[in-house]
Amino acid sequence: MLSRIAESFFWLGRYVERAEATARLLAEHHQLLVEDRSVPEVEGCAVLLEALSMPTENVYTANELVRVVVGTEVDSSTIAGAVSAARANARAIRDSLSQDTFEALNSAHLALSRGIAFTASPGVALHRVLERLLVVNGVVDWTMPRDEAYHFMVLGRELERIDMVGRLLAIRHDEVWPASGPAAALRAAGALSPFLRTGKPITALDVRRFLVLDATFPRSMRSCAADAEEAVRGLQRTGVSDSGQLLREVGMLRSELEYASVPSPNDIEKFVDESRTAAIRAGDEVNRAFFRQHGTIVWSH
Amino acid sequence: MDQLELTPPGAVVPFDEMLVDGGQPRATHADMHQTLVSLGAAGLSERARQRDAYLDRHGITFTLGERERPLPMDLVPRLLTPTEWQHIEAGVIQRLHALEAFLADVYGPGHVLDDGLIPRGLVTTSTHFHREAWGIETANKVRIHVSGIDLIRDEAGEFRVLEDNLRNPSGVSYVLENRRTLAHVLPEIFTHHRVRSVNEYPEKLLDALKAAAPPAVRYPTVVVLTPGVHNSAHYEHAFLARHMGVELVEGRDLYCRDNTVWMRTTSGPEPVHVIYRRIDDDFLDPVHLRPDSVLGIPGVVNAARAGRVTIANAIGNGVADDKAVYPYVPALIKYYLNEEPILPNVDTYDLSDPEQREWVLGRLDRMVVKPSDASGGYGLVMGPWATEQQLENVTAEILLNPRGWIAQPVVTFSTCPTVVEEGRLAPRHVDLRPFAVNDGTNVFVLPGGLSRVALPAGSLVVNSSQGGGSKDTWVIDDGSHEDRGPDLSVLEPAQPDASEPGPSDTRALPRYNSPTSHDDRIVQQERQQQQGGSGC
Repeated sequence: MLSRIAESFFWLGRYVERAEATARLLAEHHQLLVEDRSVPEVEGCAVLLEALSMPTENVYTANELVRVVVGTEVDSSTIAGAVSAARANARAIRDSLSQDTFEALNSAHLALSRGIAFTASPGVALHRVLERLLVVNGVVDWTMPRDEAYHFMVLGRELERIDMVGRLLAIRHDEVWPASGPAAALRAAGALSPFLRTGKPITALDVRRFLVLDATFPRSMRSCAADAEEAVRGLQRTGVSDSGQLLREVGMLRSELEYASVPSPNDIEKFVDESRTAAIRAGDEVNRAFFRQHGTIVWSH
Repeated sequence: MDQLELTPPGAVVPFDEMLVDGGQPRATHADMHQTLVSLGAAGLSERARQRDAYLDRHGITFTLGERERPLPMDLVPRLLTPTEWQHIEAGVIQRLHALEAFLADVYGPGHVLDDGLIPRGLVTTSTHFHREAWGIETANKVRIHVSGIDLIRDEAGEFRVLEDNLRNPSGVSYVLENRRTLAHVLPEIFTHHRVRSVNEYPEKLLDALKAAAPPAVRYPTVVVLTPGVHNSAHYEHAFLARHMGVELVEGRDLYCRDNTVWMRTTSGPEPVHVIYRRIDDDFLDPVHLRPDSVLGIPGVVNAARAGRVTIANAIGNGVADDKAVYPYVPALIKYYLNEEPILPNVDTYDLSDPEQREWVLGRLDRMVVKPSDASGGYGLVMGPWATEQQLENVTAEILLNPRGWIAQPVVTFSTCPTVVEEGRLAPRHVDLRPFAVNDGTNVFVLPGGLSRVALPAGSLVVNSSQGGGSKDTWVIDDGSHEDRGPDLSVLEPAQPDASEPGPSDTRALPRYNSPTSHDDRIVQQERQQQQGGSGC
């Protein structure tokens, strides 16, 4: 497979995940700011922006927060930007994607670029975007052959997901909103019902443990690492070369999370940080091993 | 706003929750009023449409007859001040303590009957008095684990108890959903208010149910027992099970053996310790109660008597919310607690008393008559709006079975502005059902509760089974109540290790972006290629 094609699949996976996770996070955060007014709105906005590595200046209200995080096409940290970047990658590989995948992505992109009414009731608009992104993932899941392209896409998605869970946990819902925060963090990860089924009360520590270490919830960092490892093994089966270092990176992360003893709060924060840096190292390694295998080629006369 | 249509002949002007004479908002409602005015009818219409879409999409429904429909939620919230709420909360807790004591008494020593405070015949003839429940000990002395006491506000603005619901009060899921829905479709209305959260309800309920478990059980298994998907409140049953993280079961999922209740699972039978049942007493156990019930669990009453399982709410609670017992509740409060009732009753006439019956039948067109054992507004006859034929029929029924009916004067409930057709606001009558959960140590009253609103103009019947809607109900937070946030003491602050900076500032990590998406040079060159191609 062409490196360029592989790279587009990898980034398609990443951007769709980034857009979806950010939209979910923003929708939940907006609801939290509206419902729980124990924290000044400007501070409530700042914690999300910081977690998303966005500038916090000039954002004072929940509506302004929505405007900034939905963003524009030029900044791929924003929802509109991530969707637009996902679409740009999808265009490059349109022939290898099913028609449904591209259409769903395209309609999300069009809705965002037309600036659907975000300020009046952001929840409604964000839900529409989320729905289309879910369609993308759904169609991919049941139409895409489990080939090299698929494994690159899943690898991108899982590495991004680790990063997004890390950003979600960086918000420290439990410290900013002691009463409603931990449940909001769970909802932002789509994890409220799965967490409740464990029978544990919603305490700050148990929520963080769940989002980092749960073995069955697909958005926990541990599950993401396991899925990323599986994707790398899938790539190996299709015969890619030079995947040893990458497998080592994701495999070590997975086993560290899998065999962790019941961690203290400090350990949890260590796992969060290590997972995020490991995901970044893995991303670098994917880039080195598959997309930029050769150094700069110098032509000499 | 059309006040005339609301005023029944000869009745007084109702108390309005938001507006005072002349249509000005009360000071407490000024911000909310301003938001509504600036939205205008068109804005409210649009939000109403979004709300319907939201409710449909989330499947937030109740089943009426054969149809599943969204519970109509009005866009205008109902607001209660901290002072109003403290009064309601204290009144509800007081009433529950008295009713708990009453139930423990009639299903135990019966002092209140011996003392003649309430006629023995009235208690024993109650449809919901179950001798089968006599002598069943409850683990933490609680029988009314969950209650929903209906309140109304009379023309003077005073809160009064309209009826007690101590069996299976429903509607709490709509309290939680209404808050989420309103914050979703009309976020700006929250801007100037700090509203007390309602989200802790499932946690409080689960704690109370666990606290009610048989004492020998360390880690009790709690289930929610539903009659099934055809029940009008099935949505709520599923909601509560999901939010408590427990199994939602039907009768056929459970069975009794050796006085233990078991749940059939893929890994074999599992013991069940607390059944939060949302089916009526009669259907609970065909061995003791209705023999033709297919919804219940044969033997569960024996298991409860043996102290192996807790049934919540307890069997036989209906005797305490019987409408014929209701007039005696203020006396019960004095008898058991030696306190004056905080929340007064609505005047009620006991039709088994010949003198009162005579008086009521003489002015039936100005009275409301209700079957004493029904709930949900079924069988209720509103005198001023009834036809001659209806009045004749109900007179005959009262004479046939005076014990089965009570009468009350028509009480003019308070009104609250409500969105009617085309985004217009009009006053509609509301009641209030605060939900209370008793864990044996504390009674937790969920801040707010369900405000039900009678949607047809002038109607005083708010039951959802009779076409009523609901409103998000706010209790304003003035910070005076104790903070009920989760205990943070278990979470030690993360200690940054000074010697090793490590990657703890991952928030600041840059985002990785793909090179293909914004590489202007490639885009430019791709375009050139295409132009070059077309020129050939």
